[in-house]
Amino acid sequence: MALKVENVELPKKYHDAVEHWHRHNFKDYDLLLKYWDKYFPKDDQFCLCAKMELGTTDVIQIGEQKGEKKRLKPEEMTPEQSGHLLAIIKAQASTEFGSIQQHAATVDRAPEDEDKFWTMRVMAEELRHGYQMLHLLLSEDWSSVSGGVTGEQMVEEILSMTTGSHVLDAFNLDYDSYTDNVVFAACIDRVGKYQLTMQKVCAYKPMADSMPPMLREEAFHLAAGVIPMRRWAQKAAKGDVFVTMRMMQHALNKWVPRGLEMFGDERGGDTNVNFGFKDMKNDEASSLYHEELRKMIRDINTRYIRARFPDYTPEKTEQVLDELERSRGTHHGLAWTDLLRLPDKRFFRRKGVHAFQMVGIDGEPFTDVEDWLRYLAANLNDGYIASRDMKLYAEALRSVVSGEKTPAEAIKSMPRLKRVGGTCPCSKGVRWVMEDADGGQTTVAVR
Amino acid sequence: MPDVTTDVRIRPLDELDLNGIVRINEKITGAYEPDLWEKRVMFYTRRDPGASQVAEANGKVVGFMLGDCRAGEFGLEEPSGWIERFGIDPDYRGQDLGRRLFDAICAHFKAEGATSVRTLVDQNDAPVAGFLKAIGFGESSLAALERKL
Ligand SMILES: CC(C)(COP(=O)(O)OP(=O)(O)OC[C@H]1O[C@@H](n2cnc3c(N)ncnc32)[C@H](O)[C@@H]1OP(=O)(O)O)[C@@H](O)C(=O)NCCC(=O)NCCS
Repeated sequence: MALKVENVELPKKYHDAVEHWHRHNFKDYDLLLKYWDKYFPKDDQFCLCAKMELGTTDVIQIGEQKGEKKRLKPEEMTPEQSGHLLAIIKAQASTEFGSIQQHAATVDRAPEDEDKFWTMRVMAEELRHGYQMLHLLLSEDWSSVSGGVTGEQMVEEILSMTTGSHVLDAFNLDYDSYTDNVVFAACIDRVGKYQLTMQKVCAYKPMADSMPPMLREEAFHLAAGVIPMRRWAQKAAKGDVFVTMRMMQHALNKWVPRGLEMFGDERGGDTNVNFGFKDMKNDEASSLYHEELRKMIRDINTRYIRARFPDYTPEKTEQVLDELERSRGTHHGLAWTDLLRLPDKRFFRRKGVHAFQMVGIDGEPFTDVEDWLRYLAANLNDGYIASRDMKLYAEALRSVVSGEKTPAEAIKSMPRLKRVGGTCPCSKGVRWVMEDADGGQTTVAVR
Repeated sequence: MPDVTTDVRIRPLDELDLNGIVRINEKITGAYEPDLWEKRVMFYTRRDPGASQVAEANGKVVGFMLGDCRAGEFGLEEPSGWIERFGIDPDYRGQDLGRRLFDAICAHFKAEGATSVRTLVDQNDAPVAGFLKAIGFGESSLAALERKL
């Protein structure tokens, strides 16, 4: 059942562009709709539309304009505000479409049909969330703060991005296996939950009204990550040779640092709060997120211990977990390292206050860069360590450790993939672009 | 005995409440059934996110009430709330938590346009029947019928 929501469709040419996009990037979209009733009986049918919550407050709840009427048009905000919000909307749109491209690469490897359909529903809802952001870009005129770029051009740019060209790093990493589909949903969609929750207060009312329907869908995405992880933990405890805690740990090691970075630099976030766009600063939100992940991991570990020691009561299980967390030792052959561990906030970071620090999963410091890279290689999955992303990280890190670059310079030197042109992903080229510290660009490779 | 005097917060269910629900159910029924509760939590999370509620004390789930708002079943075209499963940790009973969970789930049902809330009860389960009566459930013209096959 839906709360009071208005469904809005984009003008036909844009709606068709999104339909076209999913034919290239989400080939099983029609399969999902065909079997929707089998996997999600009696749920409302999927609607490719923007959903606007009705009956929300029209008073600004936070920031410098608290108490004033919420803004309904970009020109009712200062140019700084609308420019800042435009960047948020574009980044959000990019992440939504980006995650579909990531999921699409490995969704077919889901071990069970149910897993696959859960992931496909997540993809469809991300498509809707991207559509929602396009609605925000197209329903008003942003050209005064977009440097003259029209709504049409912005949509074209977003729909032509591919993995590697998205605004946030977490959406530029390829998935290496279906484990990534699941762990991404549990960890990165959780960042999405935080962002959407913070933006419920947004002083720009159409943005605020977009959040509640998206958040309700996000609840399913988190469950579609956590529940398979719980089931895998149980299988691992029972000795399933194809499902291990190690494989989940390696995926956590890959995604948790990127999730933390999605909140932005720990020292920032004031502008969002002052402008009335979000109700938490970066450090506060990312700390809460990290604590929530701790809870998630403890839940999964509890499931593992109960499966491994079926006679244990809930209280005994909690005791064993507490004891292992404290001693980091073993319990009847179960080592602390056999369980999932929450990567330290400083682990494998490349942005923010901890960028390029060498700190292990459990907070252990490293001094030698080669030892550190060997440690990383042992704690990430093989497909990922053989990637371009890791190669570039290692190069940037070495340049920081040798003093050749400051962390800030190294952050800027990590390349990003940028679009060259064209509206359809099937007909365009993209290139690796290295951004120089002074903002200049050098083309590194074309594909 | 746990400290039961601390403030208890009522909030919507999320996927990290699973262990708490499994534990409460195990305390009540003696059965450890994580698979069953994973299915139920997934069902309610996708069917009607925000409807189902939990009670939380010191970060620990001490009560839950699962349900959703539906229309078009059994000839009932208007939306109505359905409450399926609930349980309060035995250490936390008698503190109005059942009632507070019920009030919260009903507020959500109302916001979805429901004008009534329904449930099924085993009349032989006097405590649950007593609780439901106390929070305002009465006889309905609809009756649950059953025939053995
Ligand atoms: C029934 C249950 C939910 C009551 O929870 P609770 O938090 O103790 O109830 P509350 O304190 O909110 O009580 C609300 C009202 O119900 C009444 N009530 C509670 N338990 C009752 C009982 N066993 N018999 C009769 N009335 C009862 C209270 O007296 C109160 O009425 P009042 O306001 O008129 O005084 C709880 O005992 C329980 O979880 N029972 C087990 C349910 C079960 O079997 N679940 C299986 C898993 S689905």
